[in-house]
Amino acid sequence: MKSFVIGCAAAIAIAAIAGFVLNTVQKPTDQAYSTTGVRL
Amino acid sequence: MARLFAQLRFLVGALTLVLLLAVAVPAGAQQPSQVNPNASAVKEQQLLNALQGGSIGGRVSIPDQKSGMLIQPGGRDWRQFHEVTLRWIGAIAILGMLALLIVFYLTRGQVKLESGYSGRRIVRFNAFERAVHWMTAACFIILALSGLNITFGKSLLMPIIGEPAFAGWSQWAKYAHNYLSFPFSIGVFAIFLIWVAGNIPNKVDVEWAKRGGGILGRDHPPAYRFNAGQKMIYWIVVIGGTAVAVTGYLLMFPFYATDMQGMQLAQTVHAIIAVLFVAAMLAHIYIGTIGMEGAFDAMGEGTVDVNWAKEHHRLWLEQEMARTGPNESQRQPAATPAE
Repeated sequence: MKSFVIGCAAAIAIAAIAGFVLNTVQKPTDQAYSTTGVRL
Repeated sequence: MARLFAQLRFLVGALTLVLLLAVAVPAGAQQPSQVNPNASAVKEQQLLNALQGGSIGGRVSIPDQKSGMLIQPGGRDWRQFHEVTLRWIGAIAILGMLALLIVFYLTRGQVKLESGYSGRRIVRFNAFERAVHWMTAACFIILALSGLNITFGKSLLMPIIGEPAFAGWSQWAKYAHNYLSFPFSIGVFAIFLIWVAGNIPNKVDVEWAKRGGGILGRDHPPAYRFNAGQKMIYWIVVIGGTAVAVTGYLLMFPFYATDMQGMQLAQTVHAIIAVLFVAAMLAHIYIGTIGMEGAFDAMGEGTVDVNWAKEHHRLWLEQEMARTGPNESQRQPAATPAE
């Protein structure tokens, strides 16, 4: 049971870090696929 | 005479007018079909023709030039696969495996510990191994459910919970699918590293397989730490897990490493391997829980009864006894955690 909890906690921690990194590195769609002359 | 010429001129003129009218009226009637004044109808016909197998594309002013392609033949094939073929493959694989396991359980029953519990325990998996296993397993279950939701949710779940709830659930399921892929991938890699040494096929596996692994009959063929069935599950996890991870990241980072056709291929491979993976893991979960008495303890608390080890992994037990001494490996009480 203890190993299961540790495993789940590790999964959540890694997923949270991955989510933070992805949101930092990747730009939102309206920025990634537009130019200054485009109105969205 | 002059009057006669005047009448003739009138007659010729009248005949010419009749002749002109006779020719002109049908021509006028045919005009709309020869020159279609409706430009949108012309384009629609071109679209319909293109839908028979060609591509429909145009020009866009945004940086992403791929968005200029509206419809392409590969997209139609992919849609057919995703909406029809994949559902059949998934349903047959998963429901087929479930039916097989139910029939097997009803006919064979649980694999019992024939010699009974000895009360002496031996460490099967240490804390790190179990934590890696459960991290990967927990991620897999959520990835499987959220992935199956993409394929079957619209048909099975949405009619039950309604469109708004399904939309909300699917959005969060997709977030979970994306982010939990990272600990899952790390888990698969860790599983590969920590158990690869015990999962190289050898001659003992051939003998184990010939004797039905002791599951089909009442036999107890010898095995080292991992028998042939466990090795098969191990390589399904390692190879299948790597395949779904690689194709999944191609989908998560669209067009970084591949084009439109590559994306469609990645999704197809990802989906097929994933549903087969789910079916294989159902068998793994079955034999690790209700299918075999005492098996869950190995990954649950980390230890197994010595008699269980003797029946299912005799060669491994002999190795452990030779390494630690019989008293060392047998004296651990049942409550001893494997940390």
